[in-house]
Amino acid sequence: MNPSANAPQGVRAAGPEETETPRVSARVGLLADRDFVEVRFCGSGGQGLLLMGLILAVAANHDHRCVVQTESYGPEARGGHSRSDVIISDTAIDYPTLDSADLLVALSQEAADGYTRSLRREGILMYDSGKVTNPPSFPGMTIGVPFTRLATEETGRPQTTNVLTLGAVVGITGVVSVESLTKAVMEAVPAGTTEVNARALARGLALDYAEWMVDSC
Amino acid sequence: MSLEIEEFLHTERLPHIWCPGCGNGIVTAAFLRAALDLGLKRESTVVVSGIGCSSRASNYIDLGTVHSIHGRAIAVATGIKMARPNFTVIVLTGDGDGAAIGGNHLIHACRRNIDLTCVLFNNQIYGMTGGQLSPTMEVGGRATTAPHGHVEPPFDLCRLTEAAGASFVARGTAGHIRQLEKLIKKGIAHPGFAFIEAVVPCPTEYGRRNGTANAPRMLDDERTRSISKAKAAGLSRQELAGKIVTGILHEDTTAPEFLQAYTADARAQAEEASAPAAKEQK
Amino acid sequence: MDNRSTSAVLDSVAAMELWHSHLLREKIDQSSLLVQGNRACALGALDAGVRFFAGYPITPSSEIMEAMAYELPRVGGVFVQMEDEIASICACIGASLSGWLGMTATSGPGFSLMQEAIGYAIMVEAPLVIVDVMREGPSTGRVSAPSQGDVMQARWGTHGDHPAIVLAASNVADMYRLTMAAVRFAQRFRTPVTLLADEVVGHMRESFSPELVGRYRLTSGDFDFTPGYVHPDLAREVHPPHILGSEAHPHVTGCTHDETGFPTNDAKKSERFLHELYDKVTNHRDELCLYDVKNEGKGRVCVVAYGSCARSARAAWRLAELEGLPVEVLHLYTLFPLPIEVIQTVARRVEFMLIPELNLGQYAREVRKLAENWTTVISMGKIDGTLITPREILDQVTRLIGKYESV
Ligand SMILES: Cc1ncc(C[n+]2csc(CCOP(=O)(O)OP(=O)(O)O)c2C)c(N)n1
Ligand code: SF4
Repeated sequence: MNPSANAPQGVRAAGPEETETPRVSARVGLLADRDFVEVRFCGSGGQGLLLMGLILAVAANHDHRCVVQTESYGPEARGGHSRSDVIISDTAIDYPTLDSADLLVALSQEAADGYTRSLRREGILMYDSGKVTNPPSFPGMTIGVPFTRLATEETGRPQTTNVLTLGAVVGITGVVSVESLTKAVMEAVPAGTTEVNARALARGLALDYAEWMVDSC
Repeated sequence: MSLEIEEFLHTERLPHIWCPGCGNGIVTAAFLRAALDLGLKRESTVVVSGIGCSSRASNYIDLGTVHSIHGRAIAVATGIKMARPNFTVIVLTGDGDGAAIGGNHLIHACRRNIDLTCVLFNNQIYGMTGGQLSPTMEVGGRATTAPHGHVEPPFDLCRLTEAAGASFVARGTAGHIRQLEKLIKKGIAHPGFAFIEAVVPCPTEYGRRNGTANAPRMLDDERTRSISKAKAAGLSRQELAGKIVTGILHEDTTAPEFLQAYTADARAQAEEASAPAAKEQK
Repeated sequence: MDNRSTSAVLDSVAAMELWHSHLLREKIDQSSLLVQGNRACALGALDAGVRFFAGYPITPSSEIMEAMAYELPRVGGVFVQMEDEIASICACIGASLSGWLGMTATSGPGFSLMQEAIGYAIMVEAPLVIVDVMREGPSTGRVSAPSQGDVMQARWGTHGDHPAIVLAASNVADMYRLTMAAVRFAQRFRTPVTLLADEVVGHMRESFSPELVGRYRLTSGDFDFTPGYVHPDLAREVHPPHILGSEAHPHVTGCTHDETGFPTNDAKKSERFLHELYDKVTNHRDELCLYDVKNEGKGRVCVVAYGSCARSARAAWRLAELEGLPVEVLHLYTLFPLPIEVIQTVARRVEFMLIPELNLGQYAREVRKLAENWTTVISMGKIDGTLITPREILDQVTRLIGKYESV
């Protein structure tokens, strides 16, 4: 029995692992050298979390890596917390949903409380220190940055918080390359807002160590 | 919401799932006030709903409630009413639930003139499933399944139900809370099938794609487009385009109600069946 | 690869997603796309030449319909949202009898409503594609939780004795190529074909490269939408199609009929007719049964899986390699007609067959019937609305092998 001989022409069973993935632009940061990373964005509805997950996924795709992105749907996405998960890997991704996160980005207290559990012990917890006033205790690295305040100061628009946060995430962890992130952000934002979003992104990427407020390592 | 209606609310189940600015809460509250005013009893009132954002109302109401399946609320309610004719049975449904998948049940309930009250929350869209077109969406409206603009004309549900035989037909809007409450009250009190269309704003799925997602503005718009039946009487079709005609549009208290007709007939049949036996006994 | 149709769909995705303003346009990169499973399904249908779609909204399948609503009028096709699922499938049958291939998409509750009409479609030999993106539970259940609860519904949902072709997708590329395969099978065998997916496969976005599209693409010779066409290979088995408006067939009926198309009460004739319906499918298992074996011939345990569970099974196999556990994976893309020979060949060489499913063993029962003479079949069901994890499979494997060792 030949497993592949049975398929009609063209409908052959094969996984994406057979495609070669050329590597592009370099990535720098705490998670840059991982060949498999799981990222979760969480917060409350309306904060643009799904968009953040999608931008990161598109950026990883631009990096020619394998990506799976899933998110909360329906009533789950309306009230309470909403989440968007991105799995990035150098090889084909089999199990499609998040197992335990390497990086959790929390934009509300409720979400931080609820989802810190999904982080692996040696993972990184990043939160908006303006929103999460009482960060949950977590043994890994904890980074609090006042994303919303920084975005408002930089662009005058709190709506740019998610782009600024993405900049900070990538600046610190390097889960995707800066080049791909920039490309993905520019594809995503509404026409007419490219300039403010570019500023927010640059501000996030340029975050310096002093602004991190690393609680524990 | 006013405090008194908490009597009929599962407050512990709140907050509800509806979006900020959604009109469903307004209609639900109007119904609850009508129920309170009429002095409906928990043990003899059943609210049946289908599936949809609007149909979620039954999850928060502290009366007998049945959250049934998509489109079939009226069919389920018919069964309940036939088994328990002395119950007050109210159907809360949406335009998709009641007029698309459940449209056939709706017209047949009208035809039978069974003593149910149906409050249909008309937001012209499928809210729950994310903004697909509904049978009440106007030509040119936008939905995820009418991305190029809708080309089918909408149902006028009040004219439809009247033609199908409903003996009480009314229309109100979430913008006129008191009127809506009165219409629902009259509908419940009416002997026979009562249909009340409640025009509600859905800022999230309808508004966002069709002009404005601003809920207060949507309510204002409902108010400015509304016109009473009396005023509408003198206007031509063209002049009525885009208007919402509100009030009691049709009322016939003499039309035979299904269950009464059925029981009367059943009694006659039973008498006839027992008559020869009675003779023999003699 | 013909980039045109792909980019057209992706443009439409972009436009649609912009409406859902919280979503980003899934923009094409020259080398790789990030595509949602449901969109990939629509893309596959369009690329396979489907030009008729009728449906009714239901989570988690609606995106398929939304993409078709956008795209079909732009490519000369027809889209309509009907008043319920019964109407949707009936409209598809009507289109199909008029020489188009009708397609619809739904989830469990809608699939149940369609069942009577599916029986009719089988009887009148109307080619159809039905996509069922499964969600948890009977009735309304949990709409945003994955499940594989409709496997038996897909096989035996409609009344009467009937053949069924049922495929199962496990990733975004599958949603594309198995939709194409479904179109091809429906058209060749003139019968409804069901493609099963689940909430995770339908909603997730995944890298989907044009090379993959190119590689899995069926060639235009695989499809022939000429009304009345029957592939010469199948001319003796497949009845000539009913095409309304043509001379070929004057009458269409769901009653048992003979070659004239008119009802018959002749016992012999009706028996023969029903056998022919069955045989045209089951005689072509070789062509219809799509599958894939990982680590072939090297396992003591074979994990038999389909849909998203097959992804967990593959991940479990990779973990097993690291731990030195002998595991193979039989990934089934076709659930029905039953891949009898494939399953029995594997059964003859392994000690255990483990079947992880998001139901309480619907397919395991089928496998057990086929394999229990040779091997021990173990069902591993889960119905809490989450996927089975690779760890859970691996633990079960370890337990099985360990148990065997200690005996
Ligand atoms: C048989 C079946 N088909 C489809 C669905 C999916 N569904 C749930 S709610 C809904 C539409 C509800 O629309 P409407 O009645 O207008 O209510 P709204 O959400 O707008 O208040 C649909 C199609 C279902 N639950 N069951
Ligand atoms: S989607 Fe529309 S109908 Fe549903 S809760 Fe939101 S505003 Fe109301």
